[in-house]
Amino acid sequence: MDSLIVANIRQRPTRAIVSIAGVALGVILILINTGLVRGMLNDRVRREQGVGAEIQFGRRGSILSPSSVLSTDTRYAERLKQIAGVKDVSAVGMYPQRSKTGLGIEVVDGIDYPSYTAISGMHIVEGRLFAGENEVVIDEFKAMHNNLKVGSEIEVFGRQMKVAGIYSPQIGSRIKMPLSVMQGFLGNENKCTFLMVKVNDPDKLAEVQQRINAELPGNAVLLTRDLGLSAGCDIPGLDGFVRSILALSMVVSCLVILLAMYTTITERTREIGVLKSLGASKSYIISVIEKEALLISLIGVVAGLVIALLSGVVLERATTLQLEFHWQWILAAAGIGLAAGALGALYPAVRAANQDPVKALSYE
Amino acid sequence: MAVTMDAILKTEKLQMTYRVGKVDVHALRGVDLAVAPGDFVAVMGPSGCGKSTLLHILGGLLQPTAGKVTVDGEDLAAMGDAARTDLRRRKIGFVFQRFNLFPTLTAEGNLKLAEHIHGAARQQDDARRREVLQLLRLENKMQHKPLELSGGEQQRVAIARAIITNPAIILADEPTGNLDSENSAIVLDMLQKLNRELRQTIVMITHNPEAAAVAARTIEMRDGHIVKER
Repeated sequence: MDSLIVANIRQRPTRAIVSIAGVALGVILILINTGLVRGMLNDRVRREQGVGAEIQFGRRGSILSPSSVLSTDTRYAERLKQIAGVKDVSAVGMYPQRSKTGLGIEVVDGIDYPSYTAISGMHIVEGRLFAGENEVVIDEFKAMHNNLKVGSEIEVFGRQMKVAGIYSPQIGSRIKMPLSVMQGFLGNENKCTFLMVKVNDPDKLAEVQQRINAELPGNAVLLTRDLGLSAGCDIPGLDGFVRSILALSMVVSCLVILLAMYTTITERTREIGVLKSLGASKSYIISVIEKEALLISLIGVVAGLVIALLSGVVLERATTLQLEFHWQWILAAAGIGLAAGALGALYPAVRAANQDPVKALSYE
Repeated sequence: MAVTMDAILKTEKLQMTYRVGKVDVHALRGVDLAVAPGDFVAVMGPSGCGKSTLLHILGGLLQPTAGKVTVDGEDLAAMGDAARTDLRRRKIGFVFQRFNLFPTLTAEGNLKLAEHIHGAARQQDDARRREVLQLLRLENKMQHKPLELSGGEQQRVAIARAIITNPAIILADEPTGNLDSENSAIVLDMLQKLNRELRQTIVMITHNPEAAAVAARTIEMRDGHIVKER
């Protein structure tokens, strides 16, 4: 039977390649999207955690969710400073803009430099700090990756801005501008995305968090170390997006296999009649078709994995996008690819198994 | 016709009616037939006389409307689809007019597939396999695909596929219908040898009187009845 399956696939290479491509597409969709979500989010989390503030305070859903609206009042800073255990507070605005390559978004931080650098230790390693509303500073990664130098121009808020300096370490977003300028551009005076809170004694972090919650209820008070756990849940629609990608991939792979196997069994009606005349049971015929679909799906899964991993490398080199492939998603993609193949082939297989042998044998 | 007790294949009052649109077509109108083990029976008759329907019922591909069909002691007419398939797998070998080999497989692949379905791959009697291939002069053709073989060679592979699993009965549907006279003679000679040397029971449908002449018995059908036997 195995030789029949392999021979069938080899005899119709175009159909096999199209089917393999369909399954591979589903796998690529899953891996690239989840890889991007995970990579960008974790990269962002790592850089946020690198800032040095133990707590992030803001409106619910605003932390790590850059938008064109700054939703948290900067005047919370003064109230936070009055809470016992709080050492420093710095307001940060986050504005998302389309990346230069058109792939994904890049985030611009609006910062209050004195308070921000007091918490993070950020310092200028080349050039100088921004001055005025048409200057920004960038981190070393962006400078190197986008081939930017002090004096180069980049587009921020739809206008050309000058790179006044390059900073280190790589923390927060890769482009920083004055928070006051960002507020002005967005028309959100006295607003920010969130406030970074540095505590006096990291061992008493939970107590400080409780006090903030008690003093300023109704807001999100997140520990920076937990951002990795909560970030996915904190971004509205992210879970739904990932589920949609999974469902879409499943449907694409399933339909491709269904169409391919449906065409195949129509072409092979007479052969199915012959199998029946040889005494092949319904389960035998179903297993022949299912095994063929599974073999095609397996090749598609492997091809999809290879293409997705290579695409990840290319994307990281060509853009500032970060991808992280995790075993969980690789297994999920492989499982979905194989399950879609098996599911897609089920109807054609059952249809084949139920064919009238006499009619099948006389099929032209 | 008297139904003998030791028949390997027998039908009693076999009827088959097809519904075509609003019209009932009576393909078989009470056929009584008995085939003894090792018999070679040719079934002749004009198109539409019911001989193909008879062959399909004998092979368990069709369920008769009424009557009884016994194959090697098992009542086919009383069986469901799965049981008939199982009986076909164990006891019947088909040979078709159009060979019906799997074009993607070699001759050997076609034989192995039949063995696999039969479940005999592991217990295959090598001696019988050699005997069959020798008898059908196929030893050197095993690695060829059907399109690389002549019509006569393809039909010989089809015969080998039908008998490789040692079925009780071979049902041949116009086995020479797609062959020239030379290849027809070779294939008929092979069937005759199988019958004589391996005691293989064969029921063969044919239009060709020369083909029927190689059989030990010839039955003529007309309008769903057996009308003559010699």
